[in-house]
Amino acid sequence: MLPLEHLQTTMARSVLAIEPMVSAKMLTAGKADPLARLRIYQNNTRSSLTAVLMAVFPITVRLVDERFFRHVASEFIRRHPPVESRLARYGAGFPRFLKTIDTLSDMPIVAETARLEWAIAEALDTASLPARSLAEYDNTDLGLSPDILLQPSLRLIVSHWSILSVWMAHQQETVDENVTWMRRPERVALWRSGNYVRLFLLDRASFAFWHSLKHGLGLEHATGRALALDPAFDLVSALVRLFRDRLVTDVRVAANSPSN
Amino acid sequence: MSRAFHPLAIPTSAGIGLRSPHISEMLTRRPSAGWLEVHAENYMGDGVGVEALERLRETYPLSVHGVGLSLGSARGLDRDHLERLRKVCERFQPDLVSEHLAWSVADGAYLNDLLPLRYDEEALAIVARNVETVQETLKRQVLIENLSAYVAFADSSMNEAEFLAELVTRTGCGLLLDVNNVQVSAHNLQYDAKAFIDALPEQAIGEIHLAGHATNQVGTDTVLIDDHGSRVPPVVWALYEHAITRLGPRPTLIEWDTEVPVLDVLLGEAMWADMLTASIMFGRKQAARQAAAIKPRPASPTPFEGVRTSMPVLAAFAAAKAGPVMANALTPMEGRYDVAA
Repeated sequence: MLPLEHLQTTMARSVLAIEPMVSAKMLTAGKADPLARLRIYQNNTRSSLTAVLMAVFPITVRLVDERFFRHVASEFIRRHPPVESRLARYGAGFPRFLKTIDTLSDMPIVAETARLEWAIAEALDTASLPARSLAEYDNTDLGLSPDILLQPSLRLIVSHWSILSVWMAHQQETVDENVTWMRRPERVALWRSGNYVRLFLLDRASFAFWHSLKHGLGLEHATGRALALDPAFDLVSALVRLFRDRLVTDVRVAANSPSN
Repeated sequence: MSRAFHPLAIPTSAGIGLRSPHISEMLTRRPSAGWLEVHAENYMGDGVGVEALERLRETYPLSVHGVGLSLGSARGLDRDHLERLRKVCERFQPDLVSEHLAWSVADGAYLNDLLPLRYDEEALAIVARNVETVQETLKRQVLIENLSAYVAFADSSMNEAEFLAELVTRTGCGLLLDVNNVQVSAHNLQYDAKAFIDALPEQAIGEIHLAGHATNQVGTDTVLIDDHGSRVPPVVWALYEHAITRLGPRPTLIEWDTEVPVLDVLLGEAMWADMLTASIMFGRKQAARQAAAIKPRPASPTPFEGVRTSMPVLAAFAAAKAGPVMANALTPMEGRYDVAA
């Protein structure tokens, strides 16, 4: 008789359809064939995890059609099953997996759109903190280069392909046939705002500015990077926009600020 | 920091499983529902649902039902996942917490399904140790749910009911009796569903689950699939009646996880559970009164005398609904669910 851990390992591999399968002699199922019954577990695992992926990547499903998506998802599940039961975290590796599918090699937009959808899923599972207003800091000395903290759900994605345009076009029931994907860099910012996710295209300078702030590099560094990319970068407008879009959750005196 | 909620005890009546398509309506309508149960794993992040549940928790008693702890895993518990469960309990302060007698993690993979154990001393020691760890971490008793199964292990040395009874003795845990699971497993593995219920320690049963199942015909094998995708079927209502007759009223949950219908369907099923329980308890009270009577009463002077003391009208409907059911339960069911699909 196998130790329980060995038995469970064998069963788990059988459920994921990885050879060798568990021996029929180990199982009973009344008068039924135990291995036929084992297929119910295989089907449950595959279909429930496919449903998870379809919920996270709905536009990707539409780009490749559902049957193909199910086929690819099934292979992804077999090779990369979840490592934890918190399924909100399952699918992070799916966009990268799509890039390895030969059939999709001439459709890079598929994996890139999946990358955008994963970022949306992450944002939806992240806290939406109360936003601060500019007026709250009227009487506060924040030093020369304060740290600006942004919503933790903010995700920034840069792609060589027109991912946001494609994603937006597929929000409608019927897709405009004139909208097609193209090689055109798009820099996307998205974050959770209450029950929704807001998505915007950013120019290079604004993207660099937001990216620096998101990674805690401070306002001075962020401004420097933005100006290096676009000498006409307007810092005041950029700051007003951050507050207007309710992205700022705190402003702090920088740790190395002279006024600290 | 967690907010403070008023303690809300789960009543011995029917509640519903909270599902995402219903959250908005629950928030706006605040319908009469005895209590709510949520899957713990859906509230371990910081998403929209978490904020909504905090608002609902102010009104409704709450049960947290884990589906991913894998209490039967030979390699032990995922401590990170247990910590997340602890935080969910700390955040929402549920009145009941439950998990399954099953495993779903092995070989580094989470299978997103509940697999059966080989019921023997080795498994019992492992599950008991894991349940004790959970109860110590959460600082509370947890309820352990019986499983729906399609296979069993040839080398099991005891049955599931014996395993659960011993688990209660060793750990002090409670039990969640899933009546639909009993029906599914009893049919699939060919044992007596009522005998299974009767073998459980009744004082330990702190909650009951009701749900629908699908029927799948594969060749000559008719297998019941625990899909939680339809109304509670007659055969499960009949088994519930058996359980309530033996146990008395228990908090009872209507579960629905696939093809989720409109909210009112779930609320209606919960109402039927309450009415059926009321009719059973009414009948029990009547029987007790009759047994306590010193002198036999004269025969009723009119056929309508009983109406004045009869069960409530809705309870009568519930009893009527469960009645024909027992006959229907023997009718072969057909379905097109394809395991290989």
